[in-house]
Amino acid sequence: MNSPFTEPMSRRRILQGLGLAATAPLLAACVGPGQKSTNNGSNAVTGSFDWQKVKGTTIKILQTPHVYQQTYQPLFKEFTDLTGIQVVADLVPEADYYTKLNTELAGGSATHDAFMMGAYWVWQYGPPGWLEDLDPWINNTAATGSEFDYEDFFDGLRTSMKWDFKLGDAAGTGGTYALPWGFELNNIAYNKTVFDKKGIKPAETFDNLIQLAIDLTDRKNDQYGIAFRGSKSWATIHPGFMTQLSREGGKDYELKDGKLTAAMNSPVAVDFTKKWADLAKQAGPTSWTTYEYPNCTGDLGDGKAMMVYDADSATYPKNVKGASKIAGQIAWHQGPAGPGGSLATNLWTWCWGMNSKSKNKLAAWLFMQWAAGKDAMNKAVQSGAFADPVRQSVFNGTFKQTLGGFPGYLEAFEAQVPQAKVLFTPQTRFLETTEDWAVALQSIYGGSDAKSTLDALVTSNTNKVNS
Amino acid sequence: MRSADDTVGGRQAPTVSPARRKWRPYILSIPATVILIGILYPFVQGVGYTFLNYRATEGDVHFIGLGNYLQVFTDPLFWGSVRITLTFAIVATALETVLGVIIALLLNRSSLIGKIFEKVLILPLMIAPVIAGVIWKLMFNPQFGILNHIFNLGSTFDFLSEGRALWSIIMVDAWIYTPFVAILVLAGVRSLPKEPFEASAVDGAGWFYMFRRLMLPMMWPYILVAVIFRFMDCLKVFDIVYVLTQGGPGHATSTLQVNAYINSIINFNYSGGATYMFILWIIVYLTAQQLVKLLGRAQARAAGSEA
Repeated sequence: MNSPFTEPMSRRRILQGLGLAATAPLLAACVGPGQKSTNNGSNAVTGSFDWQKVKGTTIKILQTPHVYQQTYQPLFKEFTDLTGIQVVADLVPEADYYTKLNTELAGGSATHDAFMMGAYWVWQYGPPGWLEDLDPWINNTAATGSEFDYEDFFDGLRTSMKWDFKLGDAAGTGGTYALPWGFELNNIAYNKTVFDKKGIKPAETFDNLIQLAIDLTDRKNDQYGIAFRGSKSWATIHPGFMTQLSREGGKDYELKDGKLTAAMNSPVAVDFTKKWADLAKQAGPTSWTTYEYPNCTGDLGDGKAMMVYDADSATYPKNVKGASKIAGQIAWHQGPAGPGGSLATNLWTWCWGMNSKSKNKLAAWLFMQWAAGKDAMNKAVQSGAFADPVRQSVFNGTFKQTLGGFPGYLEAFEAQVPQAKVLFTPQTRFLETTEDWAVALQSIYGGSDAKSTLDALVTSNTNKVNS
Repeated sequence: MRSADDTVGGRQAPTVSPARRKWRPYILSIPATVILIGILYPFVQGVGYTFLNYRATEGDVHFIGLGNYLQVFTDPLFWGSVRITLTFAIVATALETVLGVIIALLLNRSSLIGKIFEKVLILPLMIAPVIAGVIWKLMFNPQFGILNHIFNLGSTFDFLSEGRALWSIIMVDAWIYTPFVAILVLAGVRSLPKEPFEASAVDGAGWFYMFRRLMLPMMWPYILVAVIFRFMDCLKVFDIVYVLTQGGPGHATSTLQVNAYINSIINFNYSGGATYMFILWIIVYLTAQQLVKLLGRAQARAAGSEA
């Protein structure tokens, strides 16, 4: 019998050998990305603070078209004049923004030095080491100017940028992985002219809101009661839905024996979800399952939707003169309180994250520091479209002075802000499990049984978050 | 001394060294090998992923055997996706084939209108499916879409609701690809020999008899080619579905490709997405094999070598 080692090399054996040789690097390549970055760039920055420290550098940033982005775009020149750093901004529409960012970061790319992101992304991008920990930068006096004043950011926002990546631990623990830039409280914006004409006031309870929305619906005249998001996306859950669910006493997860257990099928949650889906059907837009926030605010501005339950900063621009058909006629209300008077409000922040693979970390940090700084933010607010600045000094100063023609905006903000925070439980599968939640909501809207649909969701999500 | 065989056309044939002669086959196969590696490398890598727990957001990547396959096969979402994908592929292919053949037969009559429509027919094929999807999404909109307006459906009829979305997507697919079938079949019809038709006309055969007994068997291979292309393409459908519904509402239009995309790109679950893709590849491969066999038999029958 011939030993395989003494057989002459046939063409087939050569091909087998080549195949095996090719497989080894393939499998090795499978274990490429996903490594934590431990090399914080702030360690290399020493001496005294100077805006011109990396003069002549060019940084690339990734943004999505948004009121905040549009307000800051004209100010970039001032940053270049201040620092000598050129900023190249790439824009990707919001529908594809995170797909682009995910793919880029997962591939270990250093193309973009800094990028817009939401607070929830700290939970997803932080654990694999894609985000630079900003605490060392904030605390390094050689990298951060004395006027930066980190404590000036609203407390709930600073908390939402931090996590220690341990399942079950709340936001606010661990490092800081983003800088707040703009934020949103979710509440009701309504067509004040119609409300005044009919002599009605915004609803104070959820059941009254349902009835009011139904009463205001007039399909023949292409008018409906209330718009809120309904597309197949995590973004459907986080504004009005999560805010009102929390006020009614519902939760996303509970910590039991060190494990997260999904709670979307609690009696409170089932009842609320059913009512929410019915509300969408009876008094929402016809193609609700495709609705994203621009559709909602667009319908409010066009006079089709009588109310919108979404971010205040998203409805705010529609009231600016010339921005919509009903500009100047929109008013705000904090939305229905829960049974115990709760005005719990889920907040969303647009913030700046730094790519841990960036080759221009100091330049990126200087840009982020400038963008979230008092001077630039005051100027952005003065332009009239930058709502809810993240700094208390800017909010209480410049922003309040611009609110003359926005009835109820400030009152709603002040009623909600003490109870406003990120109401979701931090976990690394946030996007996937929250999109599954939106899918379940769509199915219930389509006629599926609420209890069994949410039971299936809970089983699936509990497995996912603990795996 | 060289023999007469060493001259070609009166010129001396170039001498080839034994070493060069030995390596020539390998050298000639280099371009094909490079292309093959370009195709096989990502394929093998993708198959490799299906045996790992590879997620972009988690560092601990290790071999989990058939874990991904077990998870997929025990997930009701997967079987729902298989059902939706097959429904889409079968209905869309059947619709496009029937309409395409009818259009091809109508265009075969060399009237002026036929000649004009022949040119116009190709227009949907010149539009990228993604753009066609965006245009149809606007037309489907209940508030301002033209379809609700034309058919007087009001603002409460939603073409993309849970019960209607799949059928609306099939309609869009048929709008784009029926011309493809029609053009392919038309080319086939025009290449058929005239003599058998003339002979049966002399024998007094009717139009339908000639169509059923002569034309259909002879053009069957062309129809089957169109069916193979369309069915394979429909099994892999992604662009139109994603643009119109993203697989929703709920899971109403979650095809296998859409689930693979959501797993891999949206949820960072590369291994889960690759598993969906590999299973889809097996389905497409086996189906293609059967359809090609069927085509071979149809060609043999049309050529008269098989009863």
